[in-house]
Amino acid sequence: MGFSTKYFYILVLGLVLASCSTDDNAAKDEQKPTIDINYDEGFPQACSQLVRGETYSFKAMVSDNAELASYSLDIHHNFDHHTHDDQDGECSLDPKKTATNPWIFIENYSIEDGLTTYELSISLTIPNDIDTGDYHCSFSVIDKTGWQSRTSVDIKIIE
Amino acid sequence: MLGVWLYFSLCSITFAQDSFQIEGSVVNANTLHPLEGANIIGKGLFSISSATGTFTINNVVEGTYSLTISHIGYSSETVTITVGPKMDTLKVHLKESVIELEDVEVNGKTHKREAQELATVSHTVSKDFLDKNRENSLMQTLKNIPGVSTINIGSGQSKPVIRGLGFNRVVVVQNSIKHEAQQWGNDHGLEIDQYEVETVKIIKGPASLQYGSDAIAGVVDIQAPKLPGQNSLKGEVNLLGETNNDLLGVSAGIQGRKNKWFYRGRLTYRDYGDYKVPTDRINYENYIFELHDNNLRNTAGKEADVSLGIGFISGNLKSETNFSNVNAKNGFFANAHGLEVRSSSIDYDSSNRDIDLPYHKVNHFKITNNTSAGIGNHTLQLDLGYQNNHREELSEPVPHGYMPIPPDSKERIFDKNTYTLNIKDSFSPNQRHDITAGVNLEYQDNNIGGWGFLIPSYNRFTVGAFTNDQFEIHPDLHLLAGLRYDYGVLDSKSHYDWYPSTVNNSDGSTSYVYLQRAKNKTLDFGNFSASLGISYIHQNTTYKINLGKSFKMPLANELASDGVNYHMYRYERGNLDLDPESSYQLDLEVDHSSDSFSFGVSPFVNLFENFIYLNPTSNYYETLQIYEYTQSKVFRAGGEIRASTTVLKNLQLDASAEYVYSRQTSGPKKGFTLPFSPPLSGLFSASYQLKDFLFLEKPQIRADYRVTAAQNEIVPPEEVTEAYQVLNMSFTAQMNLIKSTKPIEVRAKLNNVLNTHFYDHTSFYRLIDVPEPGRNLSISLTIPF
Repeated sequence: MGFSTKYFYILVLGLVLASCSTDDNAAKDEQKPTIDINYDEGFPQACSQLVRGETYSFKAMVSDNAELASYSLDIHHNFDHHTHDDQDGECSLDPKKTATNPWIFIENYSIEDGLTTYELSISLTIPNDIDTGDYHCSFSVIDKTGWQSRTSVDIKIIE
Repeated sequence: MLGVWLYFSLCSITFAQDSFQIEGSVVNANTLHPLEGANIIGKGLFSISSATGTFTINNVVEGTYSLTISHIGYSSETVTITVGPKMDTLKVHLKESVIELEDVEVNGKTHKREAQELATVSHTVSKDFLDKNRENSLMQTLKNIPGVSTINIGSGQSKPVIRGLGFNRVVVVQNSIKHEAQQWGNDHGLEIDQYEVETVKIIKGPASLQYGSDAIAGVVDIQAPKLPGQNSLKGEVNLLGETNNDLLGVSAGIQGRKNKWFYRGRLTYRDYGDYKVPTDRINYENYIFELHDNNLRNTAGKEADVSLGIGFISGNLKSETNFSNVNAKNGFFANAHGLEVRSSSIDYDSSNRDIDLPYHKVNHFKITNNTSAGIGNHTLQLDLGYQNNHREELSEPVPHGYMPIPPDSKERIFDKNTYTLNIKDSFSPNQRHDITAGVNLEYQDNNIGGWGFLIPSYNRFTVGAFTNDQFEIHPDLHLLAGLRYDYGVLDSKSHYDWYPSTVNNSDGSTSYVYLQRAKNKTLDFGNFSASLGISYIHQNTTYKINLGKSFKMPLANELASDGVNYHMYRYERGNLDLDPESSYQLDLEVDHSSDSFSFGVSPFVNLFENFIYLNPTSNYYETLQIYEYTQSKVFRAGGEIRASTTVLKNLQLDASAEYVYSRQTSGPKKGFTLPFSPPLSGLFSASYQLKDFLFLEKPQIRADYRVTAAQNEIVPPEEVTEAYQVLNMSFTAQMNLIKSTKPIEVRAKLNNVLNTHFYDHTSFYRLIDVPEPGRNLSISLTIPF
């Protein structure tokens, strides 16, 4: 049995070595994309007031180390103060209220292949019949690998 | 063939003024392994040694006794002991009568020896280990075993992970019945009262052969508690207090046996507050959460468990029925409901003990019956089980997307009934073969409720038949071969949203539709499992090699998810075309143990043909990232290594390390690892036995130093986790305040001595940058009676 024992040891050793050896780390994308509204044209800025019936161009700068894939914009009311934005400074919120006809804007967009920086620009007219008050505007971007970044801004919609 | 020497030691302690207790242990002299199943018989006295080789005889009146110690396969020996207030420790060497007993050698094996002969790589955990390492949940207690880790959800809940795989890839078995709950869920924890558990067998590898679908990465097999001794009645009360989460726990158990009838019962209650982390603010993405008093808000919880068992044993027939109910309620970190940041008007900081929204509650009810009967050279075993798992996730109703404000806080409700039947026959046609054949049947009825849809209601029926043969080529060389076939049917129910969504049609019009999330669908699966291995024992060293193929049926969430997982803030989509996962694994093990030194290494290589993976795609569904179940090839390798030595008489040193390398070798995440990959980690322990002092006996101090490397192997949406070192200290002793009673076990444990700020890569809260709990002092008392 001594002979097979020796083989056994060699096999064990071989497997330990095989399992510990590092191989590929070849160009694996491990970076999230970035999303930014804190530049001159970025819109909306934190605590902005938007007027019903007006048309605005929502703009944010997105970038990625490898390749961008898609982005989305979600605007929903924050009448119940359920969440807050991730920007510096706090916006003053109106008292809580019940929604009757809140504005819901939900849309996804894809980014053409091969880009690593992109300025997203979405032109929106705020409907005239929606509830005014506190809203929450969330941007999101995903890269080709599936990494996602989000940012959100507190805004107010007024008459 | 050499004679086997038995090392037999008897130590005894006083029990009552005129009634004493004899305690002893049976150990194999060659291997120093405990010998189970030895009969200790004297006039009016009887005991059988346990798996740890120990035995006790209670209520012995003062006097001189003659005890005969016998074990099939070993020759009997008679010793004379004097039972009284000052009893001497006896050491008896027993010699095996080889010639006489050669015919029954096969039957005279200890469980330890049987485990050595079995080619499967397993690890058995004793009650002693559990008591010494006791943490907040069963799995956290088992974490000190190399190769075992956990996914924790707060301080009170955790899921088993074996060599980096968890969820439905690890089967938990209790009393031979597979524990069925919502294992697939990120925020689900194992619903088992850890005080009920005496012995756990952990299989670190594919074990579908014995355990069926899902046992693809390993098994946590909680074995039935030991049979109480004849005419015995004993119990214990465990008290536990912890400083980090202000936990108070009490558990009381009792067990007794007349002649043929035995019973046991246990009650456990635990109540804890928010746990403390060594930071006063948490920075998640761009959000900053200030923590009040270092409390991770709303992570308090409570748990109440009850279990009752009654059994009958006579001749070759044994039957035991167990009832248990585990009820728990745990809060979730309030600032982020899963990955979604939330603000609330609830005053979470008013008390660290209240459980506000969001929280979950779960009730797990279980009845099992295990009956075994010996007929000739056959042993028949029948296991019957019924389980009901009812789990609710509650959160503040918040509108999302096209969903208006839900009417109540019941986000998700899962109700699951599982019926299990196992039939097994073990027989030995001759002394060289041990053949087992059996059938497992399971039926599940899963229902859902609440306003948040994630998986549909479904029924599932599975049936599997297996056979295996343990063949003795040579007394020290065993071959194990087995084959199994499983068939399963999954029947999912249709589901529609309770609110209309806005759909933009291609002709430019807009319609408002109650979207269908799941369809009525029947799917069936079949799969073979197989295992082939050898075990070779050479003196104090055991060598094993095992090749296994295991499988896992696709789960309902993998097949039919179609909804927003608010917890993870993502959209999850199933795939009805998924195949059963199949995995091939080669395991090796070398285990050497001698008097003062033991060493073990257990490497493995594993290939998944079609690992089911929840892939984060680069697309959205209503502004939420779509995660889609896909299948990819996966290569994994790694293993554990451990060594322990007794340097000085009173100083024991242990060291162990574990490592897993995982790679997806096909599919959209080719080159990436798998989610929740545990990093390289080592545990160094030193324990020192002090001299008895004051009223403390067998005082022992222990230091556990865990060194974990950084985890740079990540997959979206994970983050790299830094390396850490954390020190735990403990002190254990027995307190013998009143000489006539059994000693009280005392344990003081200081976890995270230096209040180190570190992240556990496999914690649920890691994703929102919540560090692990800070310093915690726990004091526990076990009072036997």
